[in-house]
Amino acid sequence: MTQESQVRAEAVDGTVTLSFEESIYPKDAVFGAAYVLLDRAFVHVDRKEGRLLVSVRPKPGIGLDASLVAGEFENEALAQAWRREILSENRALIEGVTTRALGGAAGPPGLDDLLDASVGELGDAFDDPLGIAVSWEEKYGKGQGQGEASGAVESGGAGAEGPAKEPKP
Amino acid sequence: MMELRLHKELYASDAIGVAIEAFAPFAQIERREESAHWVVAIAAKPGEDEPQIAGELGNYALGATVDGVKREGGTR
Repeated sequence: MTQESQVRAEAVDGTVTLSFEESIYPKDAVFGAAYVLLDRAFVHVDRKEGRLLVSVRPKPGIGLDASLVAGEFENEALAQAWRREILSENRALIEGVTTRALGGAAGPPGLDDLLDASVGELGDAFDDPLGIAVSWEEKYGKGQGQGEASGAVESGGAGAEGPAKEPKP
Repeated sequence: MMELRLHKELYASDAIGVAIEAFAPFAQIERREESAHWVVAIAAKPGEDEPQIAGELGNYALGATVDGVKREGGTR
């Protein structure tokens, strides 16, 4: 029987039993390793005192040694555990990249999106405190402007028809 | 007759049921429940290899359990 810090192995009658410390090798990692070897070996998983016990026996006709298959199982379990760790550490980055990719695929924003958009401390994107977007007619009044203009035309017309009067002081 | 002891927290009950159904043509299979394990008793039909059926049934149950975990997207 060999003993390492997290994995132990014992061989009896062509079957190797591996014992994994579950806090180091999560159940899903051990399951993943077992799944990879299902076509070459009979795999049985059990749990005892916080450890996962995995029995590995090569299938007849495969021509593999039990200890070789067990070694491959250990390597695969370690790879699976490490892959889970990397995934867990990079989850936020992966989600961010995916969100940006999906956002770009949605195309340019529409008018409703722009109206709803926030520009932070600058207030609403369509605020117009200086009245720049207000038309001249709205700002000064259409009727009043036309009246002044028509008065000017009328006085000019009168000037054209008759002699110009001297302005009175 | 051989017996497989499958831990309840590791093997999905449905997966064991599917495995038993798959190997029913090759053996007389019975399942009973103990405190922490499902115990599957296997008696191969004449001409069948009992250890191989037991091993393949265990693999089938394990594979179906892992497939179920993957479909659910996390730890059972």
